[in-house]
Amino acid sequence: MALYRPTPTFDLLRVPGLGRLLRWRWGRLVFQLPMLALAALIIYDGLSGPQLAPQNLATVSVWIHYRGLVLLALLLAGNLFCMSCPFTLPRTLAHRLAGRGRRWPKALRNKWLAIGAFVAYLWLYEALDLWASPALTAWLVIGYFVAAFVLEALFAESPFCKYICPLGTFNFAAAAISPLQITARSQDVCRACVGKECVNGSAQVLGCGTELFVPRVVSNLDCTFCLDCARACPHDNVALAARWPASELALRPGPARPPAAVSAWSRRWDVAFLALVFAFAGLTNAFGMTPPVYALAATLSRWLGRADEALILALIFGLFMLLLPAALGLGAAWLSRRLGAGQGGRWSRHRLRDAFTRYAPTVLPLGVAIWFAHYWFHFASGALTVIPVAHSFLLDHGVTRFGSQPNWLLGPILSDDLVFLTVLAALALGYLTSLHTLQRAAAGEATPAGRRALLPWLALWTALAVAAVIVFSLPMEMRGMIG
Amino acid sequence: MNWFPHRSAAWRLGWAALALAILLCAAGCQRTSQQQPADQAPELAAELTVDPTPPRVGPATLLVRLSDASGAPVEGAGISLKGDMSHAGMAPVLAETSGGAGGLYQATWHWSMAGDWFVTVTATLADGRTLVRRFDLTVAGS
Repeated sequence: MALYRPTPTFDLLRVPGLGRLLRWRWGRLVFQLPMLALAALIIYDGLSGPQLAPQNLATVSVWIHYRGLVLLALLLAGNLFCMSCPFTLPRTLAHRLAGRGRRWPKALRNKWLAIGAFVAYLWLYEALDLWASPALTAWLVIGYFVAAFVLEALFAESPFCKYICPLGTFNFAAAAISPLQITARSQDVCRACVGKECVNGSAQVLGCGTELFVPRVVSNLDCTFCLDCARACPHDNVALAARWPASELALRPGPARPPAAVSAWSRRWDVAFLALVFAFAGLTNAFGMTPPVYALAATLSRWLGRADEALILALIFGLFMLLLPAALGLGAAWLSRRLGAGQGGRWSRHRLRDAFTRYAPTVLPLGVAIWFAHYWFHFASGALTVIPVAHSFLLDHGVTRFGSQPNWLLGPILSDDLVFLTVLAALALGYLTSLHTLQRAAAGEATPAGRRALLPWLALWTALAVAAVIVFSLPMEMRGMIG
Repeated sequence: MNWFPHRSAAWRLGWAALALAILLCAAGCQRTSQQQPADQAPELAAELTVDPTPPRVGPATLLVRLSDASGAPVEGAGISLKGDMSHAGMAPVLAETSGGAGGLYQATWHWSMAGDWFVTVTATLADGRTLVRRFDLTVAGS
């Protein structure tokens, strides 16, 4: 039986010049070294520079430019940040020094820990006001380097990237809508391959750090775009191929698609729940910048009789990022199962999981749109602030060739009205793409009962989209939770 | 592949990276920014009054009152105001004050967004010294 694979009609690795650079043995390093230099600059300025967030390269570059550009890259190409991630450089050093570590515990080889780390990271961001602290932003970057180094020294299988890193978790989820994906150029070549170097590595190049096997790759989940598979393949049979964004979310079994190759998003509670948490976290994160959240925090504070911001944030985040998506997702799956009971044969103990894992991931395009709307707001409102901040940094270090007065009035690249219009357009596009993906996920079940099974998810995605429009229509505030 | 056929080379690289990091931190701790001049007149008092109070998004008037240790007004200063939000990526609000009679300086202002603001008052005094004070404010939505 033939395995499913996207047809590599366009292969980035075959683009003259760029393809050769990407496949070059040190190709990843070309992208990582500038990011390493940037990380060093962030640490230096964060610890030593002005401790006002709008005047420090650490806070401006991390909270404005990184977050905006990483989503643009995911939308236009793919997981380019993981490709150029500087944190993997000391990790690779640790791997070389320590050799093959022990296997990551089997009980943790899933996304539950990653979901927890992702929510914890968002909670820390608010609880510690990371967005307002250059020094804490610098320590966050240092912490990333240390965590990646230690975990790689202790374990094989790049557990930091695959099972913990909140940034990687975000990128893996959002990469579902990316237009590029790793695939095999010819399945026949893979079948005849003895060494499976793409995953096992070769004498010169490491194999896939997250242990993906190229001919079985049907999604961007867990793919860091490191391209080690392409470099390791002795048959030059790996493509970075163009595909329809979000297509990986709705592959259904068929004659050419055995169940194991249907989708990395299918039949797994953890990855389906990750998709929901990703979308709800995006909305909660944006909601956290609007007046109602301060009223909610004040109400909780009165109920609890204490103004413990960390605790109140934990309650709000736990409710909106974990409990609500779990309850609504399981509720939708239960309703979907009931409404679709007339089709698809017998009930089984797996039916709830089937409904949940089949349809929940279709929220990702809407989720990406919500995150994009938020980060795009910050990026479009303040992209140019990096110019006076960098100018000021240079002046502090004796570089005066650009003048003696930074132009602090530089900031937005779009007017407020245009930013709002692009935010609405992104939300509309994300919502429609989620609906289209939902419809594709149900392809082949065109019975009335099959169509009814979609209704709970249609209602849930619509409610989420409406909530997003309301949140982004509210005036944004930039302050701590409890003033 | 063996990047480091002799492990000592790897250790040297590791120690070099560690030393570089320590140096960066040490150098960083000593840095002073030319954009934030030091306060040279700690004995003077500066008071910031905002109208309307509490501050709300929109136009406003900022009043700075300078006085010495005895409470006598300090006149003849040139004062610039800079308002920064606590979040990165927001362009600051800048203004110069007018007046100064009776130690009272006034500036027209515009709060561009609700949230936490830091208003930095930088005064060049008649004797050439610089006074710097920072005031933290929370601006409500309009």
